[in-house]
Amino acid sequence: MGRKLKSIWVFHLNTGACNGCDIEILDVLTPYYDAERLGVKLVGSPRHADALLVTGPLTRQTYYAAKKAYEAMPPSPRIVIAVGTCACSGGIFYDSFSVHGGIDKLLPVHIYIPGCPPRPEEILFGIAQLVGLVNKKVKQVVQRASPELKTEPLERLWLDLREETRRVVGYFDRDEVLNTFKELVLKAYTRYDPRRSLEKLVDEYCSQTDDPRLCFVMKYLYTRFLDILEWYKKSHYNIEDMLREEAWRRAT
Amino acid sequence: MTSYVTLPYPFEPTEAPPEYRGRPIIDPERCIGCGACARACPPDAITVEDDLQRGVRRVKLDVSRCIRCAFCEEACPAMAIKLSREFELATPNKEDLIQIVEIPLVKCAVCGRYTNATVRQVAKANAITTHLPQALREEMSGYVNLCDRCRRVRAASRIYESIPIFHKPSTKATVGEVHGSKT
Repeated sequence: MGRKLKSIWVFHLNTGACNGCDIEILDVLTPYYDAERLGVKLVGSPRHADALLVTGPLTRQTYYAAKKAYEAMPPSPRIVIAVGTCACSGGIFYDSFSVHGGIDKLLPVHIYIPGCPPRPEEILFGIAQLVGLVNKKVKQVVQRASPELKTEPLERLWLDLREETRRVVGYFDRDEVLNTFKELVLKAYTRYDPRRSLEKLVDEYCSQTDDPRLCFVMKYLYTRFLDILEWYKKSHYNIEDMLREEAWRRAT
Repeated sequence: MTSYVTLPYPFEPTEAPPEYRGRPIIDPERCIGCGACARACPPDAITVEDDLQRGVRRVKLDVSRCIRCAFCEEACPAMAIKLSREFELATPNKEDLIQIVEIPLVKCAVCGRYTNATVRQVAKANAITTHLPQALREEMSGYVNLCDRCRRVRAASRIYESIPIFHKPSTKATVGEVHGSKT
C-alpha cells in the first residue's frame, strides 16, 4: 500500500462465517452508516475489486476458493481486510479439524477488524484507517504487576451473592441490582437486629419500586443471603461481625 | 430544515451503548493469576504460562481471538477482568491486540525454586483463612509457600511423624536432603 487509497472497491468473501459479520457488513452499507461516502463500493466479482473483505475462519472447504478469488484480483493493490474474530485468528473454531485458522494463514492481511461480530462503527473505523482518515488506537501492553494484593473487604460474600444474582438477573443489570442489595445489607448491619431490619428494608424497597422483577430479585437475594450466612456459620467464619465492622466503617 | 440520517462517525467520535460488550481488559492491580479465566475461555483467548527462569506468571489475553462471551468476567474470583466498551480495535498488526500481565511467583521456602503459585495467590490464601484457629493457620501457612514436591514430602513426613510406631526424631531433618538427592 504505497500510495494513499481513495475509493476502494470491495469483494465480499465468506470463507465459512456464521453470517453474523455479513449482516454487520450489510449494516455498514445502509444509509445510516453509509460506507459509500468513504468511497467503498461492493462489487460482484473479484476481477473488479481492490480489496477482499473476508469474513469467517478459513475452512478446508473454502481454502482453494479463497486462493482463486485472491488470484483473480488485479495484481495491485490486492488488499485483504479480515472482518470478525474468526477471520482474524480462527476465533472459537481455531482448533477445529476442518479449520485452518484465520485468513492470515493463506493471504497477507492489511487490516484486522476483530469483534464477534464487530460493530458497524468498528468496521467503519477499519475502512477509515485504510483510507487514511484515522490512526490506530490500540497497541500491545505488557504490564508487570506488583506483589501487593488489592482486595475489597468481604469480597467472598459479594462474589457468592453475585453467583446467586446470576441465576435470576441478566448480564447487563446484575452489578447494579447487586449494588442496591449491598447498600441495603450494609444499612441493615448498622442497626440492632440486622436480619429483621434487612427484611424490612427489602419490603420497603419493594413497595417503592414499580418493577415486579426487581421486587422478586430482592426477595430472592434476601433468602439466599440468609442461606449463605448459615453456610458461613457452619464453617466457623464470623462473617456477621465483619459485616457489622464494614457497615460502621462506611457509615462513619 | 434539513435533517441528517447518516452517522458522522469516522469524522466525529461516538460511544458504544452501555450494554455493549467490547474488548476485555485485565486490571493488573487486581489479577491474582489463578487462571480461572483461561479455563473458562471457550476460544482460549486467555492463556496462562509460568516463566520459571524469570519467576513470573504471564497471563496473555489475545483480543483477536476473543468472542466477547464474558465467561472470564463470570469466572474471575478477584473481579479483575472486565469487558469494556472499547470498540475501535482495527489494526494492521495483530500483535497490537495482545495484553500481557506478569505476576511474580513465590519462591519455595525449602528448595528455593519458583513454585506454581503467585505471590498474590498466597496472600489471598492467607487472607481468606483469617477465621481459622491459630494453630491450624500456622500449619496451613507452612504449606502455601512450598513447591509441589516439597509440599508432598512435608505432608508425608507429617503423617509419618503422627503415627507413634513409625516415629523417629530424625525424619524432619531429612526433608531437604531427600529433595536435594532426587533432583
